[in-house]
Amino acid sequence: MKKLQYTLLAAVAALIFTSCEKVSPIGVLVSGTGVEDRVKMSNLYFQQHKSDYKFLDASETGDEYTFLVGADSHLTNDDARMAEMLQIGLDNNDLLYAHLGDIADTKAEYYINLEKVLERYKLKYARKYYKEVNLADSLKAWGDSIDVAEDYDGEDLTYYEDEEGKIYSLDQIQYPFYPVVGNHDITHNGWALWSNIFHSSFYDGWVYVGQENGDLVWDHFIFLDTANGTLGKEQVDLIEQGMVDDKYDEQDGVYTRNTFVFSHTNIFRPSSLQFASTFAREESFFLLNQFVEWKANIVFCGHVHKWDDEVVGGVTYLTLDSMCEENNPDPGDYLVRVHCKKDGTVTWEKVHMNTRKK
Amino acid sequence: MQIKLEITRFMRKFLLICCMSFATIAFAQNYTGVHKFDGEHRNEALGYAMFGGNVVSGGFGGLELSYKRYLGDRWNVMAAGQAQFGKQLYSAYASGGYRLPVAWMDFYLDGKFMYNRYNRWHTNETVANISLTWETPYVFIRVGESLITFHTLHFRYTEPLTFTFGFGTNIRPRWNPWNIGIFFRNYDEFYYENWNINWGLNFYVSLKKDMQLFGEFNIRPAGSMSQLASRYETSGKLGIKYVW
Repeated sequence: MKKLQYTLLAAVAALIFTSCEKVSPIGVLVSGTGVEDRVKMSNLYFQQHKSDYKFLDASETGDEYTFLVGADSHLTNDDARMAEMLQIGLDNNDLLYAHLGDIADTKAEYYINLEKVLERYKLKYARKYYKEVNLADSLKAWGDSIDVAEDYDGEDLTYYEDEEGKIYSLDQIQYPFYPVVGNHDITHNGWALWSNIFHSSFYDGWVYVGQENGDLVWDHFIFLDTANGTLGKEQVDLIEQGMVDDKYDEQDGVYTRNTFVFSHTNIFRPSSLQFASTFAREESFFLLNQFVEWKANIVFCGHVHKWDDEVVGGVTYLTLDSMCEENNPDPGDYLVRVHCKKDGTVTWEKVHMNTRKK
Repeated sequence: MQIKLEITRFMRKFLLICCMSFATIAFAQNYTGVHKFDGEHRNEALGYAMFGGNVVSGGFGGLELSYKRYLGDRWNVMAAGQAQFGKQLYSAYASGGYRLPVAWMDFYLDGKFMYNRYNRWHTNETVANISLTWETPYVFIRVGESLITFHTLHFRYTEPLTFTFGFGTNIRPRWNPWNIGIFFRNYDEFYYENWNINWGLNFYVSLKKDMQLFGEFNIRPAGSMSQLASRYETSGKLGIKYVW
């Protein structure tokens, strides 16, 4: 009987520790990259580099501005779907692109591929929205006597000029790609890879919409770190302390018109057979209440690889299907575009992707 | 003929308990050794204090009280309530169960209907659960389904059916005066989760013939199945079971 007991204990331990390849043995107790550490690091970085997250300006975009959302790209060696999302955004003049996490499967080379595709599209973005200026040509035009080839030693002297005549290097241009971190982005030291590119997993951003009755009007974008299926104590505390509430003070002549929230982990399950972890019960209720307090228009979620839309307490919850070729090899409506009209109306539509798995 | 009659009787009872399960729906979820009628004590009162910490609500404590009545060797009904301070969670449930002994094993079909008030988040939740448990002297496995509806922010939402699963094993047979066990499951006495497993250690020790001290240490991580687990809630329970 004792043998049976030990066999059973071993079986339980094995089941717990190896039931899913994404759960590392010690991950049952403490994950490789804990949400508490990530949020502390992210918040520190965000507070120190807040000016880098410069506001986007939609005050002169005509009747509306749009933004594009995709989820669970699980990028590996094939970057076609990721490139297609960025191209769709570029072609449609979407003001920003948001990604709901699990952006690449956790391998260093996949994140290198991701970085390459983002750099490629940042260059395309710069060429589309800025005037290309070659410093060497300018120096020559100004009659400078320096030998450009010698003094700059092959350095790229291409700069970009905006409509106001300000000159930027490519590094200085803000590519409006805003991701949240997903569970695949943090396994096996994935956080080191992810944060090397995107730095912060808990941050917010603003789109300036214009002035209304003397108030500065903004749309607010909140990006949560829910990769572990929980916010963690640090993030809950920061939320409760109002870390992302600094433009809700209407007495100061600031008015937040629309609020959009982005989370990897989904709140609602599309069906009984969607076997992905969601938030624990208290946390779900905390979030549902918090989103109402933020007056969120839309909460975007991913993770479960299945479409779902719900409206709770006036907040729309969109759970996006995976845009990954492995999960959805055929073309389909995997992206969402949101239209924010001048009059404050918000509508959304699904956006088709044509890429088929190679 | 006799066998056919027995099967017919059993099927009638089975269907009856299934129907009752959806209306009321209980197998004691506390680790107190034997869960069947001991042939002598028809009444069972149980109470425990709990304490712990949760990521969202911080520290919390609570009290639970329950009463179970054995209606003979096979049937039982139960009612329980709890208050968790800090979380501001107030709960009650009623349950009923049928035990089918097969050789040295027992099968339990239990139904449970539960109400939770998450006062801190203005949310009311009702849960109907039906579970089938296979219990042996050393091991139990449970599977079931829960129908969970919550009402919050003037909105009612019924979740898709939630699969219930549980596993536990102990180092001594469950009639032993003392025991230590381990478990993992996606539910606790007053909640049913989706794919979030909680797990831990439990024990009991008989203080007298009719009284047991029991306790449980429970780790409830977030996102256990498809995500790296992260600390969400850690709690302990310590209580007394009294039978008469």
